[in-house]
Amino acid sequence: MIHRLTKGDRVFVAVCYTVLIVTGLLVALPVLNLISVSLSGGNLVYAGAIKLWPEQLQFDAYRYVIQSKTFFSAFRVSVIMTLLGSVLGLLLAVMAAYPLSKPGLPARKWIVLAFVFTMMFSGGIVPQYLLINKLHLLNTIWAVIFPSVTSVFNLLIVKNFFEALPGEIEEAAKIDGASQLKILFTIMLPLSKPVLATIFLFFAVGFWNDYFNARMYITDQHLMPLQVYLRTVIFEAQDPTGNFKLDQNSLRNVAPQSIINATVFLSMLPMAVLYPFLQKHFLRGMVIGSVKG
Amino acid sequence: MNQATSEQASVRQPAPGAKGRERSGRKRFNREGYLELYLILLPSLALLVLFKYIPMGGLIVAFQDYNIFQGIGHSPFVGLKHFHALFSSDEFYRVLRNTLVINIYKLAFWVPLPAFFAILLNEVRKLMFRKVLQTTLYLPHFLSWVIVGGVFVNLLQTHGGLVNDLIASLGGKRVSFLLEPAYFRHIIVASSMWKEVGWGTIVYLAAIAGINPQLYEAAAADGASKLRQIRHITIPGIGGTIVLMTMMSLGNLLGNSFEQILIMYNPAVYNVGDVLETYVFRNGIGQMQYSYTTAVGIFSGVVGFILVVTANKLCRKFFNQGMW
Repeated sequence: MIHRLTKGDRVFVAVCYTVLIVTGLLVALPVLNLISVSLSGGNLVYAGAIKLWPEQLQFDAYRYVIQSKTFFSAFRVSVIMTLLGSVLGLLLAVMAAYPLSKPGLPARKWIVLAFVFTMMFSGGIVPQYLLINKLHLLNTIWAVIFPSVTSVFNLLIVKNFFEALPGEIEEAAKIDGASQLKILFTIMLPLSKPVLATIFLFFAVGFWNDYFNARMYITDQHLMPLQVYLRTVIFEAQDPTGNFKLDQNSLRNVAPQSIINATVFLSMLPMAVLYPFLQKHFLRGMVIGSVKG
Repeated sequence: MNQATSEQASVRQPAPGAKGRERSGRKRFNREGYLELYLILLPSLALLVLFKYIPMGGLIVAFQDYNIFQGIGHSPFVGLKHFHALFSSDEFYRVLRNTLVINIYKLAFWVPLPAFFAILLNEVRKLMFRKVLQTTLYLPHFLSWVIVGGVFVNLLQTHGGLVNDLIASLGGKRVSFLLEPAYFRHIIVASSMWKEVGWGTIVYLAAIAGINPQLYEAAAADGASKLRQIRHITIPGIGGTIVLMTMMSLGNLLGNSFEQILIMYNPAVYNVGDVLETYVFRNGIGQMQYSYTTAVGIFSGVVGFILVVTANKLCRKFFNQGMW
């Protein structure tokens, strides 16, 4: 359609671009400033001279964070928790979705309802805590993994995907005498790679970013995941183990805020590196998720 | 067993043309491998019962004077004592008010902003520009609340923070934003919009893409300006989505913002920032007032449930589309 834009339309489009550019800057500049501060000389940071570009470029803050044992320990706990939780979550979602995708499965409707109900109502914080305590799971990473691992949302996405696959393939396998488990793992899953990747990333981002479960169930410093560590660093400007020396003697020209920002930026990195995949798969997940079953 | 299968047969939806086979339910049960399917389902179901349904049973502590040594089995029952305490406590009403105020405040921006930016983005014809912009706007969605907190702490610092520098250069007084009750709610809303508005545009971009392009062509041929096209075609075209998204947010009116506030608040702003769940967390887990805070939990759980179910019913009725 080739319609010449009127003068009013051109003004309108220009306004659109302007508003969008300003918005984009509002999102990007705080992050840019955070990074600049982490890379700049202490005296300039103290003076409040750092805006959107690092000055007296130095990596001392990063050197400091990388040498911190607690940071590494927390990072490691988060990686383990994320991998373990995501693999387990994916496996459980697949194993629940496959039977529930069979329209003929007796009591299917009720079982699906039992899952969906937990999206709308929960026992809440205290009973959940008392249960974890009773099971002696406090101060284990399982306390973070188990309550989040049955994600009904992810389960429904996989279920919808299985339901959309053509039934003939499994029928053929069934005639060949393959067991259900074998059909699931050798036929259904290879056909479902895209949705599996999406679900895996949903879980991974969820576990990586989880703060509350760890805050509630884990008090042991050695098991503290990154988000909990990070929160103490940012909001209390100290290392939770007490060895985060923010005194200026040991750090000649590094401002505390630079160290905090360096910690934040390093914690951002995994998500930033994965971001292209995340964007692609989350968009896909929204599409699949909106196809209701 | 026989009775059980016939009951189950009435539940399942018969496949077309399978009526003759219905009678031999048991044979079908074996042939289709349902027993094995149940076994595959079992681990998830077991975890669901253990970690979701057993805590619901644990709600009973709200009617007890629970203490951790006697456990649920032996703690004395006290009826509605904790609910009476709850509804006559000023603190509870303060927390409830905070929850509603903060979430409605958020909603006032969350409803229009993503739609607004989606409309603007839709006017962008330069693909490269659009891609860079979307990549920038979507990124914060993937960052944790702690990291968003870190970004805002840095941004709002009294000395060296960009916002305070701007205020100072305009001749204003520097503000320690995160310690000021007057600003705390604004910061919660602003940081939440910073994180989620970009991602929120996706739903609306999809809705706009679904509008029949002929409508725009016809309007343009009639000489309608872009602004008029948006008013008379785009906005009515995405109206349903706007209402749907609003309903979904209303369903979550009590449960929103918890983790964000838990991360960003501090004692100086409890008065304006404490919401139901942070209150439960602090007094329940921190002070071990298990029974009283479970009563608070039941209140917010039941009200939340009613809100979600109502919102879903309305969506089904008016849009023929549920949330699940």
